[in-house]
Amino acid sequence: MDKRTRLHLAAIGFILPALVIYALFVLYPLVISLWGSFFQWRGVRTTGFIGLGNFARLFVFPNWPRFSGAFWHNVAWFVGIMIFQNAVGLIFAYLLFRRRRFGLFLQSVFFFPAVLSPVIVGALWKLLLAPNGLAEWLLNSAGLHSGRLTVLSDGGWALWVLTAIDAWNWMGLPVLIFAAGLRQIPAEIFEAARIDGAGAARILGSVALPLLVPAISAVTTLTFINSLNQFDIVYVMEGVAGAPNFATDTLVTYFYRLAFGSVGSTGITDTGLALALGTILFLIVTLGTIFLLRMFDRATVRP
Amino acid sequence: MKTLGFFKALPGWVVLLLWAVVVVLPIYALFVSCFKTTAQIYDNPLALPPQWTGANFVNAWNSLSLGQNLLNSLIVTVCAVIVTIIVSAMAAYPLSRYDLRWGPWMLLLFLAGIMLPIRLASIELFDLMKRLDLLDSLAGLVFVYIAIRIPFAVFIFANFMRTLPRELEEAARIDGAGELRILFSVILPMILPAVSIVAIFTAIAVWNDFFFPLIFIFSDNNKTIPLAIAGFVGQYRTDWGTIFASLGISLAPVLAMYLVLARQIREGIGTTGAVK
Repeated sequence: MDKRTRLHLAAIGFILPALVIYALFVLYPLVISLWGSFFQWRGVRTTGFIGLGNFARLFVFPNWPRFSGAFWHNVAWFVGIMIFQNAVGLIFAYLLFRRRRFGLFLQSVFFFPAVLSPVIVGALWKLLLAPNGLAEWLLNSAGLHSGRLTVLSDGGWALWVLTAIDAWNWMGLPVLIFAAGLRQIPAEIFEAARIDGAGAARILGSVALPLLVPAISAVTTLTFINSLNQFDIVYVMEGVAGAPNFATDTLVTYFYRLAFGSVGSTGITDTGLALALGTILFLIVTLGTIFLLRMFDRATVRP
Repeated sequence: MKTLGFFKALPGWVVLLLWAVVVVLPIYALFVSCFKTTAQIYDNPLALPPQWTGANFVNAWNSLSLGQNLLNSLIVTVCAVIVTIIVSAMAAYPLSRYDLRWGPWMLLLFLAGIMLPIRLASIELFDLMKRLDLLDSLAGLVFVYIAIRIPFAVFIFANFMRTLPRELEEAARIDGAGELRILFSVILPMILPAVSIVAIFTAIAVWNDFFFPLIFIFSDNNKTIPLAIAGFVGQYRTDWGTIFASLGISLAPVLAMYLVLARQIREGIGTTGAVK
């Protein structure tokens, strides 16, 4: 056996354990799921190839209202997080970057909720926002509100409240990524801008921002993937049907109901529909991620 | 950068401290509520408890099998972290250090897993677990978590291993060391920061996961902490003191870990820019 062959064999031997586990529990179920979305299902058995039949059913009543509703909730979630978490997080990171003292300590404080399970975060905020909870008590004491606080059962508010809680949960992540990005920018660049008379806002907007594109890219891509995968907070705070009246329903809670069912009238599972929804979501996430990465790659400025 | 003047810096400090309050206040309310009755929480959620009694903790501990749930979470997390590190380091080693024509493609196959929405494959994954007799078992969860965490771990390990000088393993090879020896006693000790990043982020992700236990675990004995808490919050809606205590118990180990590892986590995200 020559040296090259031995090298290849050793490499394969090293890669094999990881590859087998990864292929068996991630790639195989994923490929089978995509393939299965083109078949008709009765319970957990296929009864024949139907092409795009499952997909077509997603776009007509009664599935279309659920599907489009959930889709727009995910889009709103993404937009909400981009503004309330990432844009605000960038400002926080910039303020922290200009403050040596306590800067790192505050970064650690801001990040703490991110190590908590979304289940704990959701359960905690459910209690804080419930009637008689901390939020109601604070708002009533401050005279900003009177009587019962019912934002979680109010269709106009619930989705935004959940998005805000997700932002509370993950605010530390953009802060840390942006702070690290700011530290990589050479100090002379900031110095030069200041000597030219630029104010703090101007420096952030026209000097730091273009150089932060890699950090913005990472944060946006992570937010995109996470927003489309929202499930835990919704499940814990509003139930698997996205109460009130599906106002907080997301694509993954809808998928979960179709795949595994739930109590009450929404309890019927529909495997074919679930797999079709999964395939569409897969395409959105994969193509969206690739698009975002390419777009940001083109916008990257190298100092 | 030069220190800012006091008055110029003030608005910034106000903004930062305001958010610090928004982060800390809910955690503080959680902490004091653990020691209060429901009526006392309603009365003033922020007041210190009249007496520091552990009654809520006893209630929470007895009405839930929190001890068992904590142990389950710990077993699953430790096993998943250890195996993920070993198999991912083994895969990353040839992919970053050997000159293989198919290497980049294999690496790409692994890295694709970072963004693949694996939750959508859960119907077929459920079917697979049933055939492998892994449903309702901690071992099943461990396998799924290892598989999900491998892409991130391979990504981090390969990036760190690439930066090491080639002479490192060549010297060891001349000394007659086998490839496994070289990986675990020469290469890995050089990239301990990568090992700790992978360990910390795998542990956080596995410890906190809710989706897969929800699907794969049915019996109370096998529930992990997030699954047990989610069920508990649904059932005991009126006894706030006990719910807060159960949240407090499940939050305590994470808080303890964070107090020790906050700096590593901060620097880990600074160097990778990725967490999930």
